[in-house]
Amino acid sequence: MKFKFALAWALGAASLGGPVLAHGVVLEHRQLSSVEVAAQFETGEPMANAQVLVYAPDNPSEPWQQGNTDDQGRFSFVPDTTLVGNWEVMVRQAGHGAIATIPIGAATGGEATNLALEAEAEPSPESLISPSTTLSPVQRGITIGSVIWGFIGTALFFARGKR
Amino acid sequence: MQRNSLKAFAVGAVGCLALGLLPGCGGESSTTTSPDSASDATANPAAGTSATGTGTLVIRANGEDFVREGFTTKDGWAIEFDHVYVSLSEITAAQTDPPFDPDAGTDLQAKAEVRVEGTQVVDLAEGDESAEPVVVSEVEAPAGRFNALAWRMVPAETGPSEDHTIWMQGTATKAGETVPFTLKLTEELAFTCGDFVGDERKGVLAAGDVADLEATFHFDHLFGDGDAPADDSLNTGALGFDPFAALARNGVVDLDSAALQAGLSETDYTTFLSILPSLGHVGEGHCREVRLTTL
Repeated sequence: MKFKFALAWALGAASLGGPVLAHGVVLEHRQLSSVEVAAQFETGEPMANAQVLVYAPDNPSEPWQQGNTDDQGRFSFVPDTTLVGNWEVMVRQAGHGAIATIPIGAATGGEATNLALEAEAEPSPESLISPSTTLSPVQRGITIGSVIWGFIGTALFFARGKR
Repeated sequence: MQRNSLKAFAVGAVGCLALGLLPGCGGESSTTTSPDSASDATANPAAGTSATGTGTLVIRANGEDFVREGFTTKDGWAIEFDHVYVSLSEITAAQTDPPFDPDAGTDLQAKAEVRVEGTQVVDLAEGDESAEPVVVSEVEAPAGRFNALAWRMVPAETGPSEDHTIWMQGTATKAGETVPFTLKLTEELAFTCGDFVGDERKGVLAAGDVADLEATFHFDHLFGDGDAPADDSLNTGALGFDPFAALARNGVVDLDSAALQAGLSETDYTTFLSILPSLGHVGEGHCREVRLTTL
């Protein structure tokens, strides 16, 4: 039997909110990056109350966290983003199981990014899309051509002299 | 003069404008890239890449309790196996990065791999209920995380299951009737699998240490499981034992692949062929079958 994992990775800057005082009650809040796994059988039936084992990149032998999915087959956890690499989430139930691999890089900060990934098992690292800061070869060629054209145009203008 | 200066400014500005706009275009047509973690993972032996030194990788084959202890099929036959021979060839263990996903349609990208030479025939029914999965081979391997396993099933060259890929022999009992059976298959199969999924993690090999990998066979996919609900997809997709029992002669089921093709109904034979590629697993983890499914 196959499974489908839907992963939602809310990646945001970890931040600590200031305390709110009201009649001696102190509330603090932190915004953390979390990973949500939704496991279902290929029939679409959620893997409810399935065993979940989370493995951190630095120790693939011992679970970093254990738990169970909810009635909808969902489980979420907050990875330690200082442990960079492939985090693995194993979901098992009644002799069936699968592993989802979630590459987690160094904390990037900035605005929150939501990634809704759906795969039959593991999303590949390419599933995480980040903006490219480099130019394609075509773009690079156009850029170089524009610069050269600008210089030539400027040089020709001054080469005309006074009429 | 003022007009000429304006022209010079305009020409230069067009060039600069073109230069300035392009990075913005590049940003909008973002490309898919591997995150930083992918490159960082390569420096982490535990994350699936090679480390220094070597250890011993023990390749095992496991028919699970269904084979060692017997089980009841979806149609009520109590099965006891005397022998379940499987013939394994080109057994290859690999350290992959990214991890291989048999369901994704991507290729296995091995950072390091070791292969067991020759064809190995093992009896999955060997040992009692408490027996460890049978050892297929032991190979020296580079330390690291072996998170993929591949093997082919080819006809045995010698031994009791000669010329067959899978040989199942035992008895089936139902309503006081016991039927000896032998199912001798010649279909060739090839499995490529990802990481082991089970009670313990396998394939994490430290230098100077020993680690296991396991090729697991789910024969309940063929016969069904009487302990599972009848509408469980395991049972709805299984053949059961009734179709084989119906082909018994003088109270004995003795069938090879050709006899199955000739004797089973077209529907049952199609089901039979569709089940074979799902026999191979790594624990509970899936495999991609590429031999029979591409014929």
